[in-house]
Amino acid sequence: MEKKEFLDRLRANTREQYDMPDMNINGITYPDTVKQFVEMTQTVGGNVIEAQETDDLNALIRRAYPEAKVIASHLPGIKADRNPDTVDEACALNGTDVGIVRGEIGVAENACVWVPQTMKEKAVCFISENLVIILNRNQLVDNMHQAYERIKMTDYGFGTFISGPSKTADIEQSLVMGAQAARSVTVILVG
Amino acid sequence: MSTEHSKKAALFNKDREKTTWHDQTFWSVRMKHDDVAHQLPEWEALREHASNIKKHTITHLADYLETFTSNLESRGVIVHWAKDADEFNAIVYGILKSHGVRKMVKSKSMLTEECEMNPYLEARGIDVVETDLGERIIQLLGQRPSHIVMPAIHLKREEVGRMFEEKGISHEKGNYDPTYLTRCARHHLREEFMNAEAGMTGCNFGVAKTGDIVVCTNEGNADMTTSMPKLHIVSMGIEKLIPDYASLAVFQRLLCRCGTGQPTTTYTSHFRQARPGAEMHVVLVDNGRSDTLANPEHWESLKCIRCGACMNTCPVYRRSGGYSYSYFIPGPIGVNLGMLHDARKYAGNVSACSLCLSCDNVCPAEVVPGSQIYVWRQMLNSIGKADPMKEVMSMGMKVLFDSPMLYQTALKFAPFINRVPEQLTKIGSLNPWGIGHAMPEFAKKSFHQLWKQGKVK
Repeated sequence: MEKKEFLDRLRANTREQYDMPDMNINGITYPDTVKQFVEMTQTVGGNVIEAQETDDLNALIRRAYPEAKVIASHLPGIKADRNPDTVDEACALNGTDVGIVRGEIGVAENACVWVPQTMKEKAVCFISENLVIILNRNQLVDNMHQAYERIKMTDYGFGTFISGPSKTADIEQSLVMGAQAARSVTVILVG
Repeated sequence: MSTEHSKKAALFNKDREKTTWHDQTFWSVRMKHDDVAHQLPEWEALREHASNIKKHTITHLADYLETFTSNLESRGVIVHWAKDADEFNAIVYGILKSHGVRKMVKSKSMLTEECEMNPYLEARGIDVVETDLGERIIQLLGQRPSHIVMPAIHLKREEVGRMFEEKGISHEKGNYDPTYLTRCARHHLREEFMNAEAGMTGCNFGVAKTGDIVVCTNEGNADMTTSMPKLHIVSMGIEKLIPDYASLAVFQRLLCRCGTGQPTTTYTSHFRQARPGAEMHVVLVDNGRSDTLANPEHWESLKCIRCGACMNTCPVYRRSGGYSYSYFIPGPIGVNLGMLHDARKYAGNVSACSLCLSCDNVCPAEVVPGSQIYVWRQMLNSIGKADPMKEVMSMGMKVLFDSPMLYQTALKFAPFINRVPEQLTKIGSLNPWGIGHAMPEFAKKSFHQLWKQGKVK
């Protein structure tokens, strides 16, 4: 169908029009945003490591996933075997034990972390068996209203909020971590 | 007198244990909804905003669609306009054919169920692989979803496990542990993700101002679906549009809390364009939505965000299951959407409501599906779908209540009915109300008589 015909029909069928409501919503805030974020991340099945200034990130990741053989990351300073910026195809990232990416905003109310695409193959965020998200603790907000005011899309035109590991309850409502994407998620709070 | 729904519900209820399990499972989801809702003091404000944002967007839909699509097109996304299911299916097939696609992975999309896309594509040689675990299970069983968020909820683990064994997806015979079965499905689907030439997602929200396609999943299957193949097709009903990120925050907060009682879905993914080296198409579908917009009594059904909260709370859905409804979306909202789609065909579902209106009170977008069902019932007679027995009774009651003398006389003789043997009132074909109900006893004297005798204090 032609676009014009499609839209004309909608216009012809619209009756009374309604105004947009004012958007002043008092979203929930927490006395201790970091504490709430940490607790909520654990509630949704994720882990949090609060890194100290002297900590070596590579050592922290190694300690969290001692059995990992294949690590994928494009972040400077992170030791990795595969780089999502330089692999030929996304499929080449299959079999990654730990993928390491950077998050930009963390949300205390639901443990969502905004991960914009900053690498050629976003598959690294999902295909890795385990996902590590590095997040600056100064970038935590209380609720989604604040988060959506701040998020910035990169030129790749993709970004996702990730809250804990991939999960499903499709068999008898029994909760299982690790459906199609990462089986575990560790957020490392830095800064 | 029995409607299609009530007949099927009777069959469902034959397995008492399963019915009880079904009922309790959904009630526990409803309670989880309450828990997460009560944690937010602003909950009711969110619902009110959601309703008002949708009312605004739906009544300015053409304008918002123009903004939305010009944003998408400015980044190379190809937009298609489908007036109905046939056009939608043909467009999708056209895209797949021109790319030589043989296998397409897809994440959940109720719109593709609405358009019956899978059988259409399969008949033309495309292997369509559902990647949401529940959807994949019912696809392999040749069934349809029994719930819009938890499509395989009617199945027990043994049924899933046995099918996985037959299909060679699981290898440990007799292992029906959900964790084990989920792992098996993970391996099975991983192969499909690697080999598919195209990926399709639905769309939970389209953001007009930024041109984002927002897809929410717990499994991450929409992201796997779009991360490997070089072709991403989005199927989107036009009512999914919202103005901007401030609106999106409201809906993101409501969707999962209402649907499953979680504070969020695991993934809330925003797609503005194709990934490097790939192509992205968005197919916008009307399929009756513009007719709904013009319907003065039911246009607000377009506010629905398909969270499933109305099903989870519905005492009729919980005790009758998704397959008792003839429309592919069950529960209170499904009754409404079915009537909007084809009132004559789906009129058998409007009986599936006790008018308790629990759904009205949980719906995040204040669609008030229960009150809407009441309105639908008022028009059954006009489409020849009213129950003839009820019609006769209504006429009889009109005669009775219009004539005080007749009414008084009837009241006087009513206690004689107490002498009718109870068994006679239980003949279901004569008196369906007798099933499961004891016959009430008529008082020897009516309230009216007592009042006249001064015995009412």
